[in-house]
Amino acid sequence: MTALLELRENLKKIYSRNEAFILPVIKFLLSFIVLSIINGKMGYMTKIDNMAIVLIVSLLCSFLPTGFMVVFAMLFTMLHMYALSIETAAVGLVVFLLLYLLFLRFTAKEALVVVLTPILCMLKLPYVMPVAMGLIGTPASCVSVGCGVVVYYLIQTVISNAPTINSMGAEEATAKLRLLIDGMLGNKAMLVMIVAFTVTVIVVYLIRRMSVDHSWTIAMAAGIMIEVLILLVGDLMYDTNLSILSALLGAIVTVIVCKVIEFFRFCLDYSRTEKVQFEDDEYYYYVKAVPKMTVSAPTNTVKKINTQRRPAPQSARPAEQGRSSGQSRSGGQNVRSAEGSARSVVTERTAPARSRAPYGQQNPYRGREMTGGRSVTISSDHMAQDDSDDYEELF
Amino acid sequence: MLNEEKIILMTQMASYEENEGKKNMAIGRYFRSDYIAIQVLKSILCATIAYAVCFALYVFYDFETFMQDIYKMDLISFAKNVLLYYGITVVVYGAASYLICSLRYARAKKSLKCYYNNLKKLNSIYNE
Repeated sequence: MTALLELRENLKKIYSRNEAFILPVIKFLLSFIVLSIINGKMGYMTKIDNMAIVLIVSLLCSFLPTGFMVVFAMLFTMLHMYALSIETAAVGLVVFLLLYLLFLRFTAKEALVVVLTPILCMLKLPYVMPVAMGLIGTPASCVSVGCGVVVYYLIQTVISNAPTINSMGAEEATAKLRLLIDGMLGNKAMLVMIVAFTVTVIVVYLIRRMSVDHSWTIAMAAGIMIEVLILLVGDLMYDTNLSILSALLGAIVTVIVCKVIEFFRFCLDYSRTEKVQFEDDEYYYYVKAVPKMTVSAPTNTVKKINTQRRPAPQSARPAEQGRSSGQSRSGGQNVRSAEGSARSVVTERTAPARSRAPYGQQNPYRGREMTGGRSVTISSDHMAQDDSDDYEELF
Repeated sequence: MLNEEKIILMTQMASYEENEGKKNMAIGRYFRSDYIAIQVLKSILCATIAYAVCFALYVFYDFETFMQDIYKMDLISFAKNVLLYYGITVVVYGAASYLICSLRYARAKKSLKCYYNNLKKLNSIYNE
């Protein structure tokens, strides 16, 4: 566990240092995946079903705000629908317009969920999004998740009716409209899915906010069970063709994804829970404090610096070579100073304690434990230039 | 000499101003009633557009039958029904918007109060 926590801290450190590069790369990859899946599933307009266009648009999305990814995804979907028939594009436009005007204008921050929900549904992982949004979002997230389900079923309806629409003539415009509208409104699976996702988001949110140990784990387990249960009941009532095997696989993947989210957002050490009671003039307080599981990333600390006068210049090189090879075993570091003297620096890599003690119970020997890690000897002449930030110099 | 407390406070405030503060400050410029009224009006406009789009889709859904029946049907009762559904849509959506905007305004004001307290604190540090 300590290794994982160390890894988390290192990842956070890397991310915070290189956020300017990592974020655009993530956005690029995400938009590339989204647009490729849309092209792969629909692909009626051959002009935009082109890798070069997808790459250019993904590149645009990488430095534009996240909202543009949603706009481009919608645009691609609309263009594919337009290539199929203008009536299909009209129905798509109406659905997107209604979703925006009635729902998404209140949850603009979560617009990405509307794109990711259908994509995860297409990848046969529909359970991930509601449970994840229950864990990291609010009950209002059910609106964006529900909108995502509507978008998924819109795309599915278009894909399943595409051969029929293609076979119809231009004069059968109203028949095409009827086909799509009936396909959407008469889709019981969509209603069951919306109900299941909404209930899941709310249940997961309510449970994870409860003051019980392992509330996040309980919340995700309860959320997945409720979701599968509602979908099974819906399957029995409306015959929505739910596959038990895919539901189980989806549940397992959801647990893994949600555990990763939990690890990064809510990693608590319940073994050191403290319950305290106190009062002031107006209230009596029952407080439960659960410490977070944290370790600080290992750092190199200079423990000792031995200043040595350098011998005469003509004999410096052989002496220095000999010392360098010897110190690599004995734990030293050579730093050449401006005055021509060489300092032998002993460094120690600290692997910190497993977790921090709670407030008021700091271990008096913690400092000693923290420095009880591996001793590392660095014997490079360039140490002072490369890793100067990580060294506490004790002159 | 650098004042660490001042720097931390200023960094926090700058971060707030850059992110959620922007939106909250825009909300905070209005009186509660003005903000909610504007937002509810916008919602009514959106509900009207959405209703019009749905109605158009309803007409086009079975356009031929609709055009055949338009001379036979009681247009006044049809218009009454259309307006009744429109009224229900607008009232329900407007009420939901009212609730959401009230909550948003209260949250923004609370957040801005904290920001202004920090401003006062910063001012007192400068006056020390």
